[in-house]
Amino acid sequence: MNITPWLKALEDSGVATTIRNSSYLFPSLEAVHVIGLGLMVGTITVVDLRLLGLASWSRSAERVSDEVLKWTWAAFALVALSGFTMFTTNARVYAHNTAFLIKLVLLVAAGLNMALFHLTAARSMHHWDRKAAPPIGKAAAILSLLLWVAVVFAGRVVGFTTTGQQAKEQAPPPSTTNFDDFLSGGASSAPPAAPAPAK
Amino acid sequence: MHNFATWLYASAPSALIRSQEVWIIPTIQSIHIIGIATAVGSAFMIAMRVTGWLGADQTLLQTQRRYGPWLAGALWLLLATGLLLVLAEPPRELDAVSFWMKMTLVALMALIAFTFQRSVRLHDQRWETTLLRQPGVKWAALLTFVVWGAIIFLGRFIAYDQIWNRVLPGIKG
Repeated sequence: MNITPWLKALEDSGVATTIRNSSYLFPSLEAVHVIGLGLMVGTITVVDLRLLGLASWSRSAERVSDEVLKWTWAAFALVALSGFTMFTTNARVYAHNTAFLIKLVLLVAAGLNMALFHLTAARSMHHWDRKAAPPIGKAAAILSLLLWVAVVFAGRVVGFTTTGQQAKEQAPPPSTTNFDDFLSGGASSAPPAAPAPAK
Repeated sequence: MHNFATWLYASAPSALIRSQEVWIIPTIQSIHIIGIATAVGSAFMIAMRVTGWLGADQTLLQTQRRYGPWLAGALWLLLATGLLLVLAEPPRELDAVSFWMKMTLVALMALIAFTFQRSVRLHDQRWETTLLRQPGVKWAALLTFVVWGAIIFLGRFIAYDQIWNRVLPGIKG
């Protein structure tokens, strides 16, 4: 199936066009994305460390995960929405970017890992409510921590591989060196009429 | 400051980081973001305990002992990775209005976090019996989210610093 027309339609949408033509909307979305991922990865880590018995081990596992994961999901909604909106501004470039595709695979893996945990170890949570999780729960926690760190790395590499190379070829003088900017590349591949959001 | 930034840019350590830039700078930035997640997560858990919306089965002192060291550790990690990023691209950071606004807020929040943690350690009974019941304390906890959010915004806007020329014309040379 050829998805290029769909990606093009996303790029031509009113929202994507408005963002490309603004100098502050794109960086604002990036900032919201970082705030959301901070809250999401931070709260996931709280639960994973509890499962491993490394922190909060005297607290009820059920209570810790129940009350914290609500905020994880709220943060996920923020991250997904800001991420998708940024994707639309330059959909064809991101869709063909290796780091972006790796990030998507890692996200699916993190989701499957979570589903597997809920189908296995979480079902017997009342048995280990005041202890560390059983081995399969610990394995899920370790995998979760590794996958989310990998997602963050992959996300950062997306910026370097979609935008960095262009900025580097332009060889700006030191005072404007900005080859590591996450999204300037996305912005600079916008139509020439649009002002580039980042220098 | 600009002269210092230019001198630092030309220095050997700075050039070394950039020469390996293909992987070094994104790696440092990724570790910086992991540090942000750790700081945001632990500051969130402490502030939410102050509001009483999370972890109410724990005392404030227990909550502080659980998350305080993680917050402090994350701030040190952010300082270390942040210094490396300044060293790698001095003019990008040191000539940026956003950078100095961010540093001002970071210094303020580090001071608040340190003072708060010390106060909870020294006066935990007073926090449990009176301070946590005051509405002003809850509002202050919520205000910290706004400031952490502003720090993240300013951090991202270092890359788009020319925007300040629109708000305050002439501020960017």
